[in-house]
Order: sequence, then structure tokens, then C-alpha cells
Amino acid sequence: MGKESRDLFPGALEMMILQTLDRRPMHGYALAQRIKAVSDELLQIEEGSLYPALQRMLKAGWLESERGLSPKGREVRIFRVTAAGAKRLESERQSFERMFAGIARVMETA
Amino acid sequence: MYSRRRRYEELGESMREHLAERVDELVEQGVPREEAEYRARREFGNVTHIEEQARAVWQWPRVESLWADVKYALRQMRRSKGFAAAAVGTLALGIGAAAAMFTVVDHVLLQPLPYKDPGRLVTMDEHGPDSRFQSSTPWVDFVQWRAASRSFEDMAFGSGMMGRSYIQGNSASLQVGGQEVSENLFALLGVKPAMGPGFVAEQPAMGAAKNHGSIVLSHSVWESAFAGDKNIVGRVVRVNDEPYTVVGVMPAGFAYPLGGAPFGQVWTTIELGKKDQGRDWESSYYDAIGRLRPGVTVAAAQAEMTTIQKQVAAQYKDSEIRESRSLVGVKRYDDSLIDKDVKKALLALLAAAGVLWLIASVNVTNLLLARATARQREIAMRGALGASRARLVQQMLVEGLLLSAGAAALGIGLALLAVKVTGSVAPVRLNVNFSTQVDWRILAALCGLTLLTAVLASAWPALMAAKAPIEPALKQGGQQTGAGRRHNRLRSGLVAVEVAMSLTLLVACGLLLRTIYTLRHVPLGYRTDHIIVANLAIPSYRFTDKSVEADLYQPLLQRTQQLHGVDAAGLISEVPLGQTFNIMLSLRMNGNTITAGLKTVSPDIQKIFGMKMLAGRFFTSGDTPTSQGVAVVNPAFAREYAPNKHDWNSLLGMKVWNLRKDMPARIVGVLEDERQTAVAKPSQPEVEVCLCQITPASGIYQPSTIAMDLAVRTRRPAAEMIPELRDLLKQASPELANSKFSTMDQIVEDSFGSQRLAAHLLEVFGGSALLLCVAGLYGLLAYVVSQRTRELGLRIALGAQRGNLLWLVLRQAGAMLLTGVAVGLGLAWVSGRLVRGFLYGVQAHDAWTLAGAALVLFASGMLAAYLPARRAAGVNPMEALRSE
Repeated sequence: MGKESRDLFPGALEMMILQTLDRRPMHGYALAQRIKAVSDELLQIEEGSLYPALQRMLKAGWLESERGLSPKGREVRIFRVTAAGAKRLESERQSFERMFAGIARVMETA
Repeated sequence: MYSRRRRYEELGESMREHLAERVDELVEQGVPREEAEYRARREFGNVTHIEEQARAVWQWPRVESLWADVKYALRQMRRSKGFAAAAVGTLALGIGAAAAMFTVVDHVLLQPLPYKDPGRLVTMDEHGPDSRFQSSTPWVDFVQWRAASRSFEDMAFGSGMMGRSYIQGNSASLQVGGQEVSENLFALLGVKPAMGPGFVAEQPAMGAAKNHGSIVLSHSVWESAFAGDKNIVGRVVRVNDEPYTVVGVMPAGFAYPLGGAPFGQVWTTIELGKKDQGRDWESSYYDAIGRLRPGVTVAAAQAEMTTIQKQVAAQYKDSEIRESRSLVGVKRYDDSLIDKDVKKALLALLAAAGVLWLIASVNVTNLLLARATARQREIAMRGALGASRARLVQQMLVEGLLLSAGAAALGIGLALLAVKVTGSVAPVRLNVNFSTQVDWRILAALCGLTLLTAVLASAWPALMAAKAPIEPALKQGGQQTGAGRRHNRLRSGLVAVEVAMSLTLLVACGLLLRTIYTLRHVPLGYRTDHIIVANLAIPSYRFTDKSVEADLYQPLLQRTQQLHGVDAAGLISEVPLGQTFNIMLSLRMNGNTITAGLKTVSPDIQKIFGMKMLAGRFFTSGDTPTSQGVAVVNPAFAREYAPNKHDWNSLLGMKVWNLRKDMPARIVGVLEDERQTAVAKPSQPEVEVCLCQITPASGIYQPSTIAMDLAVRTRRPAAEMIPELRDLLKQASPELANSKFSTMDQIVEDSFGSQRLAAHLLEVFGGSALLLCVAGLYGLLAYVVSQRTRELGLRIALGAQRGNLLWLVLRQAGAMLLTGVAVGLGLAWVSGRLVRGFLYGVQAHDAWTLAGAALVLFASGMLAAYLPARRAAGVNPMEALRSE
């Protein structure tokens, strides 16, 4: 994995997972591929690290899981965002945007 | 609600699917399947680790690990049942003994008094400089105290009703402890009646009579005599045939004064009258109790009262009496209730139980250490697999806790049983509460004890196991390493510690057994065989206008003497060692004040007890109410007060006491010394007067007739005689049917009851300690021999004799025993102080006992060592060298 990658701030992974699943519920493998694809390979996330995050979010009640079919026709476990999860996503997005804006401002003026 | 298992399953599924999909994708891209799988896994990350992490989301790691440890420990125990049984049994012995003794101590010493803020309650007694005599207080002194003192919030007083009191219940009459008290007593104690208004509040004063004819019942009397009648308040009841109106019932558990006879109590008010206006022999005397003001210490109150008492004592015209009342003792009420000796005894026994507990814990530590060595490899494996040190220690502590908890459960059962048995065996006179009630203090102590045991027993092995280096243990055949040697030395040291502690218990046991032996063989000065004793509870209210002597005693004696098989019958205030009743007198004789005990006896008593006359004569039928007044004294009296100390005949004819105003009693004889109150105590001066000469006009009529012991010399067995005697008593007066019967031999045995009890307890403790010690020694040696089998085989192969090997093992045992005995002798020397109060006729540092106990311990240990030694000597070198 890239030596230049840095650790994501806490909550980043959850936020991205929520965002992705909010668009469209999918199973673990598809989620991993999607994040990799959409981030344009800029973020190197170990695929496995998704799973503990998914479990945490299941426990917190932001996601729920059910049996379903993958696009390829396999039987898979599909994760979807709950109402609570949607709320969480919104609040996380806002706080992230604030943080980002703050950092950007500092970087501009300093 | 998803169960956890389902979560795990789903998680596993998701991860497997992910990998499978990736593999398929790669395969589609043309990667060979094997490489595809490899790459997929690598890209995924550490599958196992991630799965663990994901699972951990659903766990409570702390609780999980503890629960896992518990299950593991249970599995271990099931696998090695023998070990578990030995450990649990040993600990149960220690915990049971400690819990039992603590229960008793709690009941006797730690119970809070049933009053509000009992720490501020104090008693006030007048006494002289030598404080041999604690007197009650007359009303006039009390008034002066109240007026002059600033330390007290309030003062109250009371006294027991004269004689035995009986209340007429619904169906039968019941003996009660009648108390006459001042009206403000309950208010002072801070307890209100549970039913009814109680006494009308009134400061004690001459002429105050608002509570005339009122009575307050205790809860037990209300229940037993009146069946808990809800409408008892306002009813008229009869006590000693006098009518009283019930104005209240006290709450359950309340009593005042405490520590008295085990009868339910009733309280009436004192009405001050003529008898309270002076300070002479005819006045009434009371026990005073006061409540200190907040912030006033006992010492401060004591100092103030000492000053005040100077003026009070000055009011006494007689200089001797003034001296005997010159000081006032202010003591906390709760302190005065416990006999100092009993307190020390109980604490000493608690210490002994504690020592036994320590021995048991050390024994189990040794067992756990042995097991830890055997499990070295398994523990090392766990360490190698990633268990942290803390985790390893936790596992072993959990095991220790489990053993300890099991032992506690077993131990409680043992303890309750022990307390019950002790209670039924202990003499009632000891006044120790052996009930098996459990309160929070006992439970807390038990929990603390269990935890402490667990920590003590398993901490050391746990730390040792956790610190052990992993590599050497994992290697093959690494049994006897340097650490193992140190291990053995540690275990030997622990055995020596056990031996030392056991020795102290054995020495204490030996000392007490010798004391009992000595007590049993003290020459008493009177016979005790074939004498039946009945402690009569005389209902004196039945005889107020008659003469008890003429109407009850004489007919009773005559009828008893006519019974078949009776050699002689007599009446005496209290049989020697009876501990039920005594009267102390202050006499004037020849210008001196004499303190002596007083007994009223019938003439046949001398024949019954076989006492010798050292001078003069005893009472005869010739002594009547109209003849010359006579008295007999004992040598202790003669030694102190005889004009000619070498010839006691000089006492004869001296006037000693006024039986009536016009009837002086002159000494006619000196009776041989007797042990009166205790076998171990020397006799006190005593004066005896003839029952036949006591009439209602006599000043000592009252005390002479409220309690009497009937002594009967008979050759028939007691079991036969007692029912006949009881019938006789019932005929004389129905209340007498409840009199307590005993034999003189039994009374003598009971008189050193506390020593006997302590001896029995120490026998149990000492015996258990010896057993544990020996078992521990045996266990260690057996283990060592089995560990060193190869080495022993080698020695034999190289030419060592069997005898040498035997000696090898015995030498190790001997070293442990000698070290332990040496340290133990030192401990026993130091702890001798604790048991000194119990002993009689033997020093706490008695050499014979020390030597004897040491010998017993040493011999038992060597005997136990013999078996492993023989096994060592019998090692077959071929087999030994072949194994491993």
C-alpha cells in the first residue's frame, strides 16, 4: 500500500460509507470497489477495514443488513442506511464541511 | 433482536463473499486461481485479525474475559477433582472457623445497644478508694448530683423489684424481671413505647405520683403472657398480686437494664417516700444512669462528679461509710455490660481462629504453587500465543476466587453448625449469645474474608507463574530448572510457616488442658458427690404477712427428708460455686467496718457438704428464734478479723451482726475454707446465719428469702430423684415447679465453664492445624520425590544405598520441621500473654507444655514424611532412568 497515504481522521470512513450506501444499498465487496473507484484511487483503504466499520455502524443503528442478490446474481448480504443513519450522515457532513472550510481558510491566509 | 451468534455468522459470510467475489474477478482477468486467492487475501488485509476486530464490536471484552476465565477454571477443577476438593476443604475449614468465631464476637461485643445514641449513656456508682464495692445511690445524693452537675443532659435511676416477680398472664403466671424506674427513664434512653403513651413525663421528685399504678410491659412479656393482645393498653394486670394499669408496650428488642436474667421485663415507677429521705440502712438505693451533654467526654464528667462527690460524701455521718462513698465512677454503659474477662477470652479465640485460617490459606497457596509448576507448559503456551501478563494473573486469581467462594459456601455451613453446637454445650452462665442470626456485619466480614483468602492464596502463585520465562518451559524435558529449585525452597518455607503457627495453637491448647486438669483437682473443702441442688425461685409476694421460714422452708425440709433415699436435706442461700445469688454486707464489728458475704443456711448443710469445723460448733436444732443469736464464719473472715490470729477460738462469742434490733448474733464456730465463687479464686470472708433464726422482723429477712438453694444428699440416681423433688416443690408452691435442678458435680464443672469451652475450641483449632500442617508437609515431600525420581534412580545406579535416600527425604522434612518449631516457639512465647487470663496453676511459658507440643508436632511431621521417604528409597533405577 502507498507509503504516502495518511490515516483518515476518525469518522471519515463511516461518513464515506454512509454517503455511498445512502446513494444505493450494496454489499461489502461492491462498497469497497465503489469507494476505491469514486475516490479515484486517491484514498488507499484496506478493504478489510470496512468490515469492523460496518459492524460498528450496525451496532449504532445507522445501518441495517439483509439478504439480497448482487448484480452478478450471487447471494450476498446487503447493507442499507437507516433513518438514524441518514441523520448522522447529514450532521457529519456539516461538521466536516465546517472543518474543511476552517482549515482551508487557515491555509490561505497563513 | 439479533443474537450474537447470528451477527458473527453474518459477518463471516460477508467477508467470505467479499473474498470470493474478488477471486472470481481476478480469475476472470486471467489470473490463475491460486494466485488470485493469494492476492485477494493480501489485498484484504489480515483476515483473522479483521474478523476479530469486527467481532469485538459486539463484545464486552472485560466481562468476556472474566467469564472465559471462570469457565476455564471450572473445567480445570472438574478435571482435577482431588485437587479441587483438597483446596476447597482446606479453605472451608479456615473460613468456617473464622466465621464462627466472628459470629460469636459480633453477637457479644459488637451489637449496638437498643437506645438512641448509646455512646452518651453512662452509669454513676459511688465507691470507695479501693473500689471493691460499687454502691447504689440514695435519692438524696442523686438530688445533689442533679443540682450541681453541668455535664448531664438528664439523669434517671432505677432498681430491680425486691424478690422474684410474677405477672398473672392470660393462662398462667410468668416470672418476669420487675424494674422500678424513674418516669424519665425511657425519655432519657430515647425510646418510645411501641404501643400506648408510656409514663407521663415528670422529673423525679418527692411526691410525684402521676404514674402511680402504671406499668409498661416489654415486648416478650406482652407476647408470652398476653398473646399479643392488641387492646392491652388500659387493661389492669396483676404483678405479684398487685393491680397495675398497662400504659405501654416497649418495642421488640428493648430491655433495660441489659445483661440481666433472661426473663421478660416490666417497668413501674418509683414513688419516693419516707425511705428516701435519709442515707441510712433503711433507705432505698438505686442505680443511676445519665446521658452526657453533646460534646462532654466521660473523663470530663468523671472529673466533675469527683468534685461534686466530695460535698455529697460529707453528708454521711459515719466516717467509714463516708470513705466507702467518697468517689463516683462514671462509666460508659456499654463498657460496663461486658465482662472484661469474657471480652479478652473471645478476642483471644478469634485470634486463634484467625491463625487457623492463615494456616489453611498458606496450605492452599502451597497447593496452587505446586499446580502452577505442573502447568508451566500450558501457561507458557498461552503467553506465547499472546496472553498478556495481566491476563495470566487474572486467570489465576479468578481460579483462586472460585475456590475461595466454594470454600466460603461450605464454610458457612460448618460455621453455623459449630456455633449451634457450641451454644448448646456452653454453660448459660457465660452469658454469651450463641444465636445463629446473621446480620450485615457478619455477611460483610464473610465476603471480605473470602476475597482476602482468594488473594492471599492465589496471588503469589499467579505472579510467579506470570513472571516465569516462556522459552525454557516450552522446551522439552525442562523440568528441573533453577527456577524449580527456588520454587521448592519457597514451598518449604511456607510449610515451615505453617508448622510455626500450628505450634502456637497446640501450645495454647496444651496450656488450657492443663488448666482444666488442675482446676478439677483443686481441693474444695467440701464434698460434691451425690448432692442434688435445686435453685428455688421463691414467690415472696405470697408470703408477705407470713413467715417464709415457718410456712415454706421448714415444711419443705421436713417433707424432703422423709422422701425415700434422702440422707439429708438443707437450705442455703447459694451453694458454693452456684453463681446465682450472693449478698454482701458491710458490718460494724469492734469499731471496724467489715465486708463479708452473707449466707443463710439450715443446720443440715454441714452434714450434706461434709465441711469441717475448725473451731466451735455449727448450727443445731437448738438454735431457734428465741435462743441466743448465732453466726458461723469461715477462715478468710477469721484471718482478717480475729483478735488473735493464731487462735481462732478468740473469735467465739464476738458479736458480729444484729439479727434483729434486740438480737445480736455471736460467732459460735469457724467453718473450713471453701471455694465459694470460683475454683480458681481464694475464698472471701463469709458469715453464715441460721435459717431458723430469721423472722420477718429481721433486717435480712428479705434478702434471705427471695432466693434459696435446696441441697439434697441422696444415694439414689438424680434422674429418679428430680421428678419426685419437683412434685414436692410444686405442692409447696406452684411457682417452685419451674426451679432449676442440677447436681453439685455439674455445678463445679460449670464453674470453670469458660475454660472448658476455650479448651474445646482450641482442641478443634489445634487438631485441625496439626492435620493441615502434616498434610501440607506430606504433599510437598511427595511432590518433591516424584519430581526427583530420575535423580534418585541415578543415585542408586551410582551406588547409593536405600538408607541414604531415605535419609535424604527425612532430612528435608526435618529441616522444615525444626525451622518451623524454632520460629513457633518464639511465637508461642509472645502470644502467651493472650491466654494468661485463662490459665490456672500453669504459667503461660510453661516449659513442659512447650516441649510437649513441639514434640507432638515434630513426631507427626516425621511420621508423615516417612511415606514419601520410603517411596524414594524404593525407586527402581531402571524405570526411573527410562522415563522421559
